[in-house]
Amino acid sequence: MTAIERYAAPQNLDEALGILQQGEVTILAGGTDLMPQTKAGRIAFKPTLMNIGRIAGLKGVTLDGEHLRIGALTTISELLRDPLVAQHAAVLAEACDHFASDQIRNAGTLGGNINNASPAGDTLVPLIVLDAEVELASKPNGSVATRRMPLAEFFTGPGRTKRAANELLTAVRIPLPKPGHVARFYKFGTRPALDISTISIGIAGIKRDGALTDTRVAFGAVAPTPVRAPRTEAALEGRRLDAAAIEAAADAARDEVNPIDDVRASAWYRKELIHNMTRRMLDHVAHA
Amino acid sequence: MNVAEKPVIAPDSLIGQRIQKKDAPEKAAGKTRYIQDMVVPGMLHAKILRSSRVHARIKSIDTSAAKALPGVHVVLTAADVPDQQPIGVARDHLPLKGERVRSQRDEIAAVAADSEEIAEAALKLIRVEYEDLPVIATPEDAIKPGAPLIHPAPLDADGRPQALPPKTPIAFAGKADNIAMRFDYTHGDIAQAEAESDVVVEDTFQLHYVTHCCMGVSGVIAEFDASGNLLMYSNTQVPFLHKREFAEYLNIDPSRVRIIQPPIGGGFGSKLDIYPFEVICIFLARAAKRPVKMVFTREEEFLASPTRQPVLLTLRSGCKKDGTLTFRQVHTLHDNGAYTSWGATTPFVMMQTFSSLYRVPACDYHTTVVYTNNPYAGSFRGYGNLQATFAIEQHMDMLAEKIGMDPLDFRLMNAQDAGEVTGQGMTFKSCGFKECLTTAAERSEYRKKHADNLANRDAPGPVKRGIGIASMLHVGGGAKIYPSDGCGTILKLDDFANVTLITGASEIGQGSETVLSQLVCEELGLPISAVTVVNNDTAITPWDVGVHASRTTFIAGNSAIGAARKAKAKILAAAAKKHGCDEVELDLRGGFVIRADSGEPLVELARLMRNLHFSDKAELVMTTFYYEPPSVHQDKAFKGDVSAAYAWAAQVVEVEVDTDTGIVKMTKVTGTHDVGRVLNRLGLEGQIEGGVVMGQGYALTENLIVENGITRNPNFRDYKLVTAPEIPEMDITFVESMDGEGPQGAKGVGEAPAICIAAAAANAIYNATGVRIFALPFTPEAVYRALRGAAPKPHWQAWKPE
Repeated sequence: MTAIERYAAPQNLDEALGILQQGEVTILAGGTDLMPQTKAGRIAFKPTLMNIGRIAGLKGVTLDGEHLRIGALTTISELLRDPLVAQHAAVLAEACDHFASDQIRNAGTLGGNINNASPAGDTLVPLIVLDAEVELASKPNGSVATRRMPLAEFFTGPGRTKRAANELLTAVRIPLPKPGHVARFYKFGTRPALDISTISIGIAGIKRDGALTDTRVAFGAVAPTPVRAPRTEAALEGRRLDAAAIEAAADAARDEVNPIDDVRASAWYRKELIHNMTRRMLDHVAHA
Repeated sequence: MNVAEKPVIAPDSLIGQRIQKKDAPEKAAGKTRYIQDMVVPGMLHAKILRSSRVHARIKSIDTSAAKALPGVHVVLTAADVPDQQPIGVARDHLPLKGERVRSQRDEIAAVAADSEEIAEAALKLIRVEYEDLPVIATPEDAIKPGAPLIHPAPLDADGRPQALPPKTPIAFAGKADNIAMRFDYTHGDIAQAEAESDVVVEDTFQLHYVTHCCMGVSGVIAEFDASGNLLMYSNTQVPFLHKREFAEYLNIDPSRVRIIQPPIGGGFGSKLDIYPFEVICIFLARAAKRPVKMVFTREEEFLASPTRQPVLLTLRSGCKKDGTLTFRQVHTLHDNGAYTSWGATTPFVMMQTFSSLYRVPACDYHTTVVYTNNPYAGSFRGYGNLQATFAIEQHMDMLAEKIGMDPLDFRLMNAQDAGEVTGQGMTFKSCGFKECLTTAAERSEYRKKHADNLANRDAPGPVKRGIGIASMLHVGGGAKIYPSDGCGTILKLDDFANVTLITGASEIGQGSETVLSQLVCEELGLPISAVTVVNNDTAITPWDVGVHASRTTFIAGNSAIGAARKAKAKILAAAAKKHGCDEVELDLRGGFVIRADSGEPLVELARLMRNLHFSDKAELVMTTFYYEPPSVHQDKAFKGDVSAAYAWAAQVVEVEVDTDTGIVKMTKVTGTHDVGRVLNRLGLEGQIEGGVVMGQGYALTENLIVENGITRNPNFRDYKLVTAPEIPEMDITFVESMDGEGPQGAKGVGEAPAICIAAAAANAIYNATGVRIFALPFTPEAVYRALRGAAPKPHWQAWKPE
């Protein structure tokens, strides 16, 4: 049974943050996670339901100095078609191409995918390897305050983040890639469409003289949150991508993750996939 | 042999054409009114409270709070319906459970309310106290000595077995063991055949749970009129059998039960039995004195509609060095679940496949069906044949490899010809078996690819290619499992030469309306648009056994042709009389009575019809016909020619196996079906393509995960139906063996295309990787485990009760 007492549809950020500050608010954007989860009883509506869909300032992709800034309300379909994303964060668009179905992509937003904080969230792993930050706004004492945080540090558990109850995730900022930047994403599902990741892998870095530096490796669906893989990164950092380095990195990746058994896969199989597909992706990076 | 000559097809003939399904525009436009869309004035909405335990004694049920909720009209438990009778083939299943729940799906209470939301809220107010009982989660556990009984005999107040009259159903009398059914069949001398064998292979195969996933979930509306007559709007596939059974449960005359079928959103066998929800809905309507509608949610459909029969199967097969098959010995253990539905009777079909798919000199077949606390299996397209074929066709490849023979040659050597009678007494009249094998093999370049893939097995790269072949035998001319396998037709022509075809055969999406119309038009020389089909009301339509056993085109088709021919004779006689000629000189074509020799039109049929009607000696063209196929009921040893015709197919499956992930991609399916004769080419292709995809799902993706009696994935997110990008390229061709008894030479094909895909996929994976997998499904993790040697081979010590 729903317990919504008030519906709010603010037109601007200031108004939205004011409503949030009053407390007990459920935020609605695309609704593609919120609706099924409330229906299934996994989350309960708070007394105020706030639809942020009319806040124009939360939409769109722009260049902001040395950063690509993606508004939280940008839909997955818009990310797929956006020329700036294609130019500066192609791996994010690639992940969006494996995201649910067209209908869900048309409604679901980037901010929603991040705040849903699923360990299998499709955009999270590529954003982490792109060093994305989230921008959080609040209005604690009458004026708007903003803070930023690396996405890799944002998640605290399944469905849980460091966003405070009075904060709204307004945008994602991605540093523009440096020369030689490569990034790859792989999602394993048992079918090509409409699937939840069994595991996902993101790899990025600066490739120079056959070696990776500034290496970023992240995995989805192998822990309570999407995770960076520091030992795998260390195994790769600065090393020439030859067969031995790739195998060492793949081994490190398998040892580093600690997935669970569930209805989609066993922990053992997830570790095997992490190993085999990290190796395959690094092979591709090496030969690209 | 009984093969008809293939006639020269007239240019305006509808036979073999691509005819759009008659219901396609309605469905494509979203205008079809399914039971979900139906609103009956005064109707209430019903929901069922199901068990939250797998196996438990019910200590108490408190419905007082639910009854007090505004908008609730009726709340029923077993105590409120002391007259309820057990349902199902073994009469072991009471619709509402009062004393004990035996599976997660079990119905404890039901609510009828003003809305679904209120009914749902009322369910949450019902308090049930349970006392858990030990769970039997596997069939192996069910047959262990001292295993807890699923249906123990009830005890009297002193704890002694109650004295009950003989023939008391299991639901009241209990069962002293967990054995629900057993089947034992044999032909030939197994010992001698084994002694003559040069090679014997023995393996255990494990077949899993899948479910139908009809787009249209289960649903029913029940209402009683003021005289106590029951009207049901039902998705059933067997309206006439249900009419009789419901009358029995309600202790009323069957003439007082009328069943109307709204358009059915898929059946595939799932709507072939009576289920508790239907009886409960009737009870609610009776108590509420209002129409009551009950429609499942998708989750409920996964939990409480039947599954395909899971099977543990040990097969021994033998052959001689020259390639002659010698024997098959089979033991299976069927997990019956807690109650008995049609899944338990799949051995009827399985044993036909073991005894008669290829020449089998000796066959020994045993099935033990045992009660567990798992979901129960029903009938599902193929009816045990997918399971049997999965084992047989892998052994065909394995035997061929052992004797160093090409797997196609080995099959051709043992495949039967028309005129042969199998050990089980099936007489193969028309038979295109060998042609199916050779056509599918040639079109797919099976031999070349098979050899190439073997040569490339150890080539570098993670992706391996494989090709596999399998064939199938199924009934194609009905199946005489009841005393009758017939179907009736009433046909009438109106003043405008439009035909109303009233047939007992139900349309469940398979295309029967279209193909029956075609057969009638072929006789009467009318366009398909001239036919209106009435097929969904037991108060109007004549008797039919139901939609099962791939029988409708064959049985209802012959019935429709019979009625049309009688109408044609009547029309030609009238025309001959009017025009002063002999009726044998006349024919019907293009909406006219024509001269048979010259084709010259004599009179427009519509005009002739009006002349017949508007006269003081008015005569109507109304005919009836009842067709009963010349098949026989099996004897007590399961022998006899149970179908009027048999159908074959060979399918070649090509795969790519990613050895890094275990993903098996089905790239191409080449299928050749002996359909007797192509009637509606478009419908046939559609039915085969759909069946191939269903077989693909069985082989690769679909898996209803049941752990300790709990269904873990009752949703489309985790129960993986094949999606569009996974569907392989298909090359579908037909062998026209022109069956002498079939309508225009045709045979049934409804179940055929799903049957051998899994077997062919297993052979293809072996061809690609050298690893043979004996358990379905071939999900990525299962395949990956097998490739890494980390999948234990299914094992079962073949067993049957003494």
